[in-house]
Amino acid sequence: MPELRKDPIVSRWVIVNTESPYTPSDYHVEEHAWKGEENCPFCSGHENQTPAEIEAIRDFPAAPNTPGWKVRTIPNKFPALRIEGDLDKRGDGVFDRLNGIGAHEVVIDSPHHFKGMADLSVDEIRMIVRAYRSRSLDLRRDRRFKYVLIFKNVGSPAGASLEHGHSQLIALPMVPKNVHEELMGTRKYHAYHERCIFCDIISQEKDSEEESRIVFENKDFLTICPLTSRFPFEVWILPKTHNHDFGLISDEEIGTLSSSIKEIVQRLNKIFKVPAYNYIIHTAPVNTESFEEYHWHIEIMPKLTRVAGFEWGSGFYLVPTPPEMAARYLREVKI
Amino acid sequence: MPELRKDPVVGRWVIVATERAARPKDFKHPAPAEQKVGECPFCRGKEEHTYEELYALRDDGNPSNWRVKVVRNKTPFLAPSGELWRKGKGLYDLINAVGAHEIVVETPEHIGSMADLDRDQIERVIYTYVQRIKQYKEDKHLKYMMIFKNSGWEAGGGRVLHTRSQVIGTPVNMKRVKEELENAKRYFDYHDRCLFCDVIRQERELNERVVSENKDMIAICPFASRFPYEVWIFPKRHSCDFYMVDDDERRSLAGILKDVLGRLKVLLNDPPYNYVIHTAPFRRNTHKKYWTTIEDDYHWHLEITPRLTKVAGFEWGTGFYICTTAPENAAKFLKEVEAGA
Repeated sequence: MPELRKDPIVSRWVIVNTESPYTPSDYHVEEHAWKGEENCPFCSGHENQTPAEIEAIRDFPAAPNTPGWKVRTIPNKFPALRIEGDLDKRGDGVFDRLNGIGAHEVVIDSPHHFKGMADLSVDEIRMIVRAYRSRSLDLRRDRRFKYVLIFKNVGSPAGASLEHGHSQLIALPMVPKNVHEELMGTRKYHAYHERCIFCDIISQEKDSEEESRIVFENKDFLTICPLTSRFPFEVWILPKTHNHDFGLISDEEIGTLSSSIKEIVQRLNKIFKVPAYNYIIHTAPVNTESFEEYHWHIEIMPKLTRVAGFEWGSGFYLVPTPPEMAARYLREVKI
Repeated sequence: MPELRKDPVVGRWVIVATERAARPKDFKHPAPAEQKVGECPFCRGKEEHTYEELYALRDDGNPSNWRVKVVRNKTPFLAPSGELWRKGKGLYDLINAVGAHEIVVETPEHIGSMADLDRDQIERVIYTYVQRIKQYKEDKHLKYMMIFKNSGWEAGGGRVLHTRSQVIGTPVNMKRVKEELENAKRYFDYHDRCLFCDVIRQERELNERVVSENKDMIAICPFASRFPYEVWIFPKRHSCDFYMVDDDERRSLAGILKDVLGRLKVLLNDPPYNYVIHTAPFRRNTHKKYWTTIEDDYHWHLEITPRLTKVAGFEWGTGFYICTTAPENAAKFLKEVEAGA
């Protein structure tokens, strides 16, 4: 069983692979070499190379783990957390330990190996977002879980180990530190102003008289380069209707969100020739006190620079391109 | 002048550098080959056409006989000129980026890795760090001095393989530093003991995660390592300010730093890494109340983080880190390996 550990200094939890630790030779400092399509376990027809599917979206009914699926959700073959067992919290002198209970799933975005989010149709992305919602609602039925994180790593520099497009879900037995910080910040603002800070950001960005940080918008979503970006060309997609919980997204919003995701990845691809990136759905916790003052959203971080010693040590980020300029490039590029 | 911006949600400050605004085509993805030795702007003999010298350790009056040199960063994120201003803009807070951003060139020779410097030279580098902090101690705009190193391309070390470190002075206290200080204070308020002294005591008793130790310093793989083969070096004598190291401690720190970096180099095939010196902020009269117990509750140290794995969506989203090697195992491997000559 992997172990969760809390740093007593900054209250940061980490998961430690005590079970099958890597030896020095497991690490390759050189760049990752791509496997190619033949051995890809995510491709249609290779269903037997993955753990049995949890759910799949299909046009026609068929047996599980057979071809014909559009989006397929499977357990992660190498999970960071394990689903079996009870929570076991222990102290060890100044340290705290907790065993690694959780769920770790992979959403295979499509049966197509060589299609990224920009190449899939809006309808295909709509099925991926539907899978996110469905897994989020299902995982929270397990009362041990307090948070469901949905994210995507694209490209080796962004931490993706397979090139076939996929997303990940992790259900955690506690609210993680970064999320907690955000929730507390949102709550504090709400207590003082009786308004949602994200709603205020949306109206400030729309009313701003200086150069706009808005990349584009549609009926339900505003896509901006946030004023306090940590990374160059960081992009947030914010729902215009206040809602703390991504799991409550409507079918209509799934459509407009899918079109926003496709468009922003197309724009980034056009400027940077298909960069590596991460995106993360920020949403309220589950099975715990209510955080209705929170406002769910998606944060997209292209991997253009390396985060170095200064950022790690300080929590300060050096941003070489102002978000206003990034927004202008993203707006003006022809797709 | 670059601008500092505070994220109103989590209280995180960022520096927005409009002057060095990169265009999309300026970002490069693949790791480039090393620059040719003759082109290195940090080598002896290149003094005239490179960087503005701010400080140097020399044997004599001959300008080219320097041992360690501090130069101004050519495109600094923080600049010393001007007055500090703060303002609000809607729900955002802004400050201008007054501060310091310097490069410590650790040797006049073209040597890529600090592990390959001898102990006396590393001691000169540490002496130089201390001098730079003392230099800014009386500057009322600066709250914090951070000393760090990016070694290797993946760790942000750049194209020129000439070993160097950086000094950054900031007009605000940084988020990570603040968190650490606040947690140390909370622990002290409750236990009336220094958290770090307790960690050192517990680690020495257990002796599972200790990598090496000398008269004044101890190196351990921390219990909650974020990265595989992360190593922290602590002074055994409780002190909150790095710049207050005495002569013996400076020598011991040089010794243990060389030892640990040598072990990492041999074991992990010269990995990219970062190190950061965690030390107390400057205490100004205006904030005296805030730092009443810092001399008792905080303990300076140096954190070394090899960059072997990629930080991905999960880490960014949660602040959780997945560490693929248990620190006990990392310490065992590091202890067993023969540190380089």
